[in-house]
Amino acid sequence: MGWIRVALAALWFGAASAQAAVSFLVETRDLSPAEQRASGRVLEDALKRLPPAFVEKFERPVRVQWRDDLPANKHGQARRWRISIKRSLLADYDAARAAVLHELAHLHDRNTTPRISRDPRFLDLAGWERAVWRPGRRGRNAFSDRSPDAYERASPREYFAVNLEHYLLDAAYRCRRPDMAAYFDQRFGVKPSPAVSCGDELVFVQGGIANSEPLRRLDPRRIAAVDYLLADGNARPMSAFGHSMLRLVVCAPEREPGDDCRGDLQHHLVLSFRAFVDDLQISGWRGLSGGYPSRLFVLPLSQVIDEYTKVELRGLRSIPLELSRPEIAAIARRTAQRHWNYDGRYRFLTNNCAVETLKLLGEAVPRIAARELSAITPVGLLEKLRNEGLTNEQDIPGDADEAIRQGYRFAPADAYFDDMYAVAKSSLRLAPRDAAGWLALAPSRRTEALRQADLRAAAALLVLESAAVRQQEALALDELKRRYLRRATKRDADDLRQARRWLELAERFSRPAAWLDGVAGYGLPQADELHALERRVEADAIALREGGKALKAALRERLSTPRRDMLESAETNLALIGERLRKLAGEEAPDLD
Amino acid sequence: MKHRVPILLCAASLAAIALPASASSFAGTSVSSATEGSSDSTSSSSGDDKLVIEAREDAAGFVASDGRIRSARLEAALRVLRERDARMREASDMALAKAVLAR
Repeated sequence: MGWIRVALAALWFGAASAQAAVSFLVETRDLSPAEQRASGRVLEDALKRLPPAFVEKFERPVRVQWRDDLPANKHGQARRWRISIKRSLLADYDAARAAVLHELAHLHDRNTTPRISRDPRFLDLAGWERAVWRPGRRGRNAFSDRSPDAYERASPREYFAVNLEHYLLDAAYRCRRPDMAAYFDQRFGVKPSPAVSCGDELVFVQGGIANSEPLRRLDPRRIAAVDYLLADGNARPMSAFGHSMLRLVVCAPEREPGDDCRGDLQHHLVLSFRAFVDDLQISGWRGLSGGYPSRLFVLPLSQVIDEYTKVELRGLRSIPLELSRPEIAAIARRTAQRHWNYDGRYRFLTNNCAVETLKLLGEAVPRIAARELSAITPVGLLEKLRNEGLTNEQDIPGDADEAIRQGYRFAPADAYFDDMYAVAKSSLRLAPRDAAGWLALAPSRRTEALRQADLRAAAALLVLESAAVRQQEALALDELKRRYLRRATKRDADDLRQARRWLELAERFSRPAAWLDGVAGYGLPQADELHALERRVEADAIALREGGKALKAALRERLSTPRRDMLESAETNLALIGERLRKLAGEEAPDLD
Repeated sequence: MKHRVPILLCAASLAAIALPASASSFAGTSVSSATEGSSDSTSSSSGDDKLVIEAREDAAGFVASDGRIRSARLEAALRVLRERDARMREASDMALAKAVLAR
């Protein structure tokens, strides 16, 4: 018959436990002596790599055939207790070994009940996300960036087989896909070798052109807590339901992780899933149908506070989640995985920020996934988390001012405008009744009061003039948008092109994997990739900053004269009151420098 | 007939509604120029310095309201100042807030 038995005890890193023996029956009929030797070496090597708990499933000998008649796009296939591998691979040791392990993985999966490739935890980690409106999973796996092998996304079975290959063959697998490696370790009873060290830090590309630090390194052990960060809704239809985010309470470098880290605002990060809109107009239809990418942004908390409370005039609530330290670290790791590998589609109803945030929590923390929560609005998600006892609100002060002081609540800036105006009005002769009336004046009509303000009035007016500039910027933007949507002149078209080019650059900051196109490696980037990344990101961060300035200057020229005059006089006011306040405060304040 | 707006969930801060001419945000990028006198100086300063600069409006609200309005960011800035400089430890919150405004 020409079958040769290759019976080998599987050895697993010298494990002391009794080894189950797998045996191969190799069909040697058509193999040359050299091919037979190659086959023996490959199979022996493959066997040595199999963990004991994996091998236990092989209660019968596995027949191995090296064949010439497999479909062209396949390296091998597995049927019952038989695997067939492409014969030409015998000339390529690594490929042959990977193919053998891949097919053994399929055999193992088939002989495990229930199959690993159907385990909810496996599917969560692999990226077959839970569907929102129905039981089951989505068909499409959106973890498409930096994949070791695009074939893995063909199906959960292939994902298991491909990943098992890499898990068994690539020492860096546990650094690149730490959560899947930990899952395999646990399934197969493997203790990871201490020889492989992945470093303590996760790396993120921070969004934002004002960032001095586009690459942010984060040691998950430095995170003291994770909060659910909820932006209040406002009247605009697209934000009526609020926005879901997560806040990582990262400790200052010198601080022991604990409650005190809540005050280290300058180190806190916000994880925010947003649609990236690559055009000047939001299309509701594209939003509903998945026309925009959904991206996970990692942002400094300070920037998020300003965007919501000052620019959009929306409040934020920060609700601590009840999580253990290992769960917090798992959230950070999973965030990194999404940051580098996920390229999802934003859908206003089924894949919005609330859905994405909940998925991230569930993937990182199995006990959250097990609750099978479902929420499609940010407030709905908060209610679900609360009902399940997943929030920890006992430390949130009942008193609103105290909650603001401790950073559990961030008030919208306009909550104080009337107070500020009242302070200024009490010492200056001002005509308008309230802050809205004051801000509605042409900037030049406010200037005289700014020159006369005492310290408290100047402080109050600084807040109001800052708001006035933001208001004018929003109006200027609105004018530009209306005009560009009409695309009236050739110059408009040129401006649009410049804006689009700049947006393309901005998009890279929303999809960090793009910087590593053409660089070998998968999953979380490791030292070599980071080295390449660092220079590219810094160069682009500078280009984005400079390009933003240039575009801003160019577009300002396009504003109508009255609109530009209003904006510029508001800015002049702000500079004036800023300088006056600096001088008045300097007369009273202790010297800081 | 009125055009119906679909119900859109939490898509705020969508990227490109904002050209960089605005204080609005895009791609997670705040490009506000309304942070008075600081947008360039922030890019080269350390996290703590940046915090103190960013807390300027917070400090203004505190001073204007005679200490009633205190944001978490002001608290953080005051703590940074005290941790960094022994002379600041004895100073009152109000004195430190004024020092933030004087910078």
